[in-house]
Formats: sequence, structure tokens, C-alpha cells
Amino acid sequence: MDKTGNIYSFITEHLREFYTYTAFYNMTLGHIVMIAIGLFFIYLSISKEYEPLLLIPIGFGMLVGNIAFTSGLTIGIYESGSVLNYLYFGVMQGVYPPLIFLGIGAMTDFSALISNPKLMLIGAAAQFGIFGAYTAALLLGFSPAEAGAIGIIGGADGPTAIFLTSKLAPDLMGAVAISAYSYMALVPVIQPPIMRLLTTSRERVIRMKPPRSVSKLEKIMFPIIGLLLTTFIVPSGLPLLGMLFFGNLLKESGVTKRLADTAKGPMIDIVTILLGLTVGASTQATTFLSSQSLKIFALGAGSFIVATLAGVLFVKFFNLFLKEGNKINPLIGNSGVSAVPDSARVSHIIGLEYDKTNYLLMHAMGPNVAGVIGSAVAAGILLGFLS
Amino acid sequence: MMAEIKRTINLAGAFIVLVLVLAGGRSSAQSIADLRINEILVINDSNYVDDYGKRSGWIEIFNTAYNTVDIGGLYLTNDMTNPTKYPIPTGDPITKIAPRNYILFFADGLPTRGIQHLNFTLTETNYLALFAGNGKTMIDALKYGEQTPDVSYGRINDGHAEWGFLDKTTPAANNFTGEIVTSGDKFLLLDPYGVAMAFIAMSVVFGALILLYIVFKNTKQLYSINFKTLFSKKGKEPAPVKATKEDISGEVNAAIALSLHLYVSELHDHEDAVLTIKKVARTYSPWSSKIYGLRNLSK
Repeated sequence: MDKTGNIYSFITEHLREFYTYTAFYNMTLGHIVMIAIGLFFIYLSISKEYEPLLLIPIGFGMLVGNIAFTSGLTIGIYESGSVLNYLYFGVMQGVYPPLIFLGIGAMTDFSALISNPKLMLIGAAAQFGIFGAYTAALLLGFSPAEAGAIGIIGGADGPTAIFLTSKLAPDLMGAVAISAYSYMALVPVIQPPIMRLLTTSRERVIRMKPPRSVSKLEKIMFPIIGLLLTTFIVPSGLPLLGMLFFGNLLKESGVTKRLADTAKGPMIDIVTILLGLTVGASTQATTFLSSQSLKIFALGAGSFIVATLAGVLFVKFFNLFLKEGNKINPLIGNSGVSAVPDSARVSHIIGLEYDKTNYLLMHAMGPNVAGVIGSAVAAGILLGFLS
Repeated sequence: MMAEIKRTINLAGAFIVLVLVLAGGRSSAQSIADLRINEILVINDSNYVDDYGKRSGWIEIFNTAYNTVDIGGLYLTNDMTNPTKYPIPTGDPITKIAPRNYILFFADGLPTRGIQHLNFTLTETNYLALFAGNGKTMIDALKYGEQTPDVSYGRINDGHAEWGFLDKTTPAANNFTGEIVTSGDKFLLLDPYGVAMAFIAMSVVFGALILLYIVFKNTKQLYSINFKTLFSKKGKEPAPVKATKEDISGEVNAAIALSLHLYVSELHDHEDAVLTIKKVARTYSPWSSKIYGLRNLSK
């Protein structure tokens, strides 16, 4: 009888102990909120097809990161020695972003930019969003390094945002990365109202000259000259710009097809999976849910709006100096933010709404890829000044 | 026989190369050259106490590398004529210095108290050196002048070249104890609203992209030069230059390419309504064998 009693208490005691290890026991309201946001991301990516390649890994990562557990089991992303912590190393040390840039370089066709180089200036103008957010962040009491990391959200370039945050303010990584990728996914929602607001019906139907054909030699020379010119000015942008132009040379040289295919295919896919999942998992409610994160989200939205605004207004300003026939459709101004190719697609779709035969996609790709270069240069400057 | 000797020599050679490579790799991986004598306290009256509760002079060694370095097997000395005066024992976990970390040695002349206790004191001479395991290669050395009690002498910043008397003694800790002002903080002082930063950064972004614009706008002509013709030998008639129409739009090219593609591959354009039966040769494969497609009934 005694023995039975002992076994009974032994079992109940251990079951009770086991219960304390479960997520049901450790769950807080914050975890539930974060899981709900993760599920919302997954919903958006599947039903609305908003950046599914990013939002599915991030959304699922948010579920993974917010399964509550007892600390000390070496399973959490912030517990050194855990598997997730090892994978997160690539985010914290800025390893993944240059690899993503290699893939982007290998899949980007810079022809639109080479054929009409003046479109590069739109890519520069859209970087105003970064510095608008930087100023606002300083006013909200963030340190200059933190403000730099928050400002880069306005570049609309996830890898660049992660790279710079890993160097300037690693503590803000989760909030900055989630904010950057969320707004990139919401480009089709955020940008169109601003574009409509700032343009007249006459401007929206401006037809641009079709881009000229670009020779192979020009395409090969672009990454080489581009690298030398940009990194001589901003060497701190080397990890991103170096990999971007290297990837592009692999593509354009025509003799390294296998390497280019790997860079733009399996490699970028693997890195995207690791990056998305770990960034999502880094939003553990215990570290992520704070008023600071909310401020970062608000500043991120603001910087996106300013970037779009600056791009469109710059084209309108630029048109004052261009002859009739050479004018630029201001609807491509939004694509100066480097959310490739989403913002260019937005330009195209909005353009088609007003003229069914005016195809703006190729023209919009010019400032779009210039935006990638511009945001990497801006990141280099911030890194140089604030690190 | 000769071939066998040759093979043995080759194998021995390969083995020696392998050993040398491994030894070289080991020495570079250890990077003992990254060790620095970082701080010393010669006269310790009321300062740091060792693990026996005694006060003595001490030496701080700093690992400037970003990997762990084992100081075991190296030598510390205060005697120029005897570089191997105190051999630091090997195989002890204490001697493995973590990246950017420190190890302390007590110069109390009592080596029986543990591996961190040296067989000399710092007051005997005004010289201190760290030698490599071969007892010949000097890694770091220091000559110091007259010392003040309880004031340490060290590098102003860890691992840096400049030496001086430190405001605070910092055994096994960062030598610099002042407030660290980051470049970001300096920016904040001069530019609290980020206006200057925005101006500088946007100028640089525009500058970089304007430079690219100028280069690509003006180098377009460069690519169309035929250098073969330009540098062809005199006497040879240059090939007649074909008139090429520049700036053909991509749309025109796409239209030409599409029509060529349709012409070459769209065979249905020329169907003549004649039906033909073509025998299709199929190679045999056990997967397609008829036997495997039938049910075998028991007889």
C-alpha cells in the first residue's frame, strides 16, 4: 500500500514538474500577441501574396521564437550554444546580408539603368527617407547609432537594414528587421496613395522613351566601374556593394553561369530561409514587446512615406529641366526605394490604371536598382560616421 | 629497388611537408605574437592581493587577438642574459587566454605557490620580457624607470603602443578607465537634430550616383569603338564600316527577335494538311516490358 502511494506521488510530482517545462505553463500574454502577429504574417503572405518568400519564414520564425520555455535548456535564440543561436550568428554578425546581395546582383539586370543613367538620381533622392527617420529618431531620444539603424528602414532594403543594425545597434535587431520587411511587404499598400496624391492626371500618362538596347560589354563593365566608383567613395559599404556587383559580374560575364545560377538560386534561397526564420524567432515577446519597438515601427512607416514622397517630388522637380519628349513619368519616383521589384511593379500597375498601353516597368526598374546602390552607400556612410 | 627507395623518399618528403604545415598552422593559430605585456605593478604596498592573501608585484599579459591563445610553454624573464628564466607550464587551463582577455602573474619569487607565481621579482631589475617557446624569439619586452608604490605602469589603451602611469590599477581589466566617447556621441553634440548628417550623407549618396551617371552617360561611345580596326597595320585596307543605327530600342529588338523565333520554330505556320505515320523507335527497358505488366496466374 505504501509502495503504491509512493509511486502515485512520484508520478504526480514528475508530471507536475513536466508541466512547468511546457509552453502552457510559461506562456504570457506577450507570447500570445507575438504568435498572433506571426499567424497574421503567414495569412498575409498566403492569401494576399505579400512577399511570401520573406513573410512565411519570418511569420513561422515568430511562432518558433514565441513558444515559451524554461530558460537554461539551451534552446532559445538568445541562449548561447543553442542551435537557433548558432543560426542567428549570421544575422548578428552581418553574414547573411552580403550573401543575399550576391544573389540579388546575380539576378538583377542593370540594363534599364545603363540605358538611361539619369534614372540613378531618383534612386539617390529616395534615400531622404533614411535621414528623415534618423532625425525623428534622435528627437524621440534614441542614440545616434540607434537612430542610424532605425533610419535605414527607409531604404526599404531588408539585408541592408540587418547589416547596419548588426553593426550599430544589435539590441534593436528584431524590431528593425521586422519593421523593414513588413513595410517592404506593404509597399503595394503604402505607396499608391502617396503617388496619386502628388501627381496630376497629365503627369501620370507621360510616356517615356523606350530604353535603348545595351551591349554585352556595357553590362560587363557596369559592375566593375560601379564597384570601383562607389566603394572608393564609401569603403564602408564594401561588404554589400562588393557582393552586389560581384554577383552581377557573375551573371553578365556569361562564362560563370553555374556560379551565377547558384548565387541567385540555391544560395539565396538557403540564406533567405535562415535569415527569415531567425529574424522571426528573434522577436521573443520577452525582448521584443516594448514601447521602443512600437516607436521603431512608427518611425519605419514614416521613413517609407518620406522616401516615396522624396522620390516622386524629385522626378517632378527634375522634369522642370528636361525637354518635352524626354520627361520622366513621376509614377516611377516611388521605385527609388530599393524594394526590388515590388516598388517598380507598383509604378507599373498604377501607370496602367491611367493608360492601359503605358508600360512603366522597365523604366521603373532603373531607379529601383539605383535605390539598392543608394541605400548601400547610405548604410556605408552611417556606418562610417556612427560606429 | 630504386623505385621503392624513390617512393620512400617521396613519402618521407610529403610527411615532413605535412608536419611543417601542421606545425606552421599550429603556431599561426596560436598567434603568440598577439600577446602583449600590458600592465605592471612593481611596488605593491596596499594594492591587489594574490590567492594566498599576500601582496607582491604583478604582471598583466593581454591577448590582443580575437582567438584564444595558450601562453603555456613561453618564458618570462627579468634577466636579459637568461631569456628562459621562468618557463610557463603547459597543459594547464589557466594558461589559455580567451580572446581580448588577460592573465596575471605574481612576481613574488615563490614559484612553488602555483604557475602564476614567478621565480623572480620586479624590483630586482628594471627589465621584463616575454619570450617564445624556443627561448630566442622575443615577443614583447619592457624597460621601466623608477616606480611609485601602488601606481601601475601600463599601456594607456590595451595593447596599444603608448605607455604611462595609470590613474587606476586595473589588474586583469581594461587599462582605459575614462569615459569612452563614440563618434556617434560626438555627432550628437554638434548635430543634435541630424540635419548635418542628412546633408553630408545625401551629398555623398547623390555624389556617388551622379558620378556613376556621368561615367555611364559618357562612356557609351567608348564601347562602340572597334579597337581592332583602330590599331590595324598600315597598308591594310580598313574594313568598310557598316552603317549601324545606334540607340535601337529594346522594344524593336524584342519585336525582331520574336518574329525570328516564330519563323524558325513555329512549324504550324506551314502545315500542308498531309497526315503521315512515323514509326517511333522505343528502346527496350525492363520497366516497360510486357511481362511485368501482366498478372501471372498460378498453373
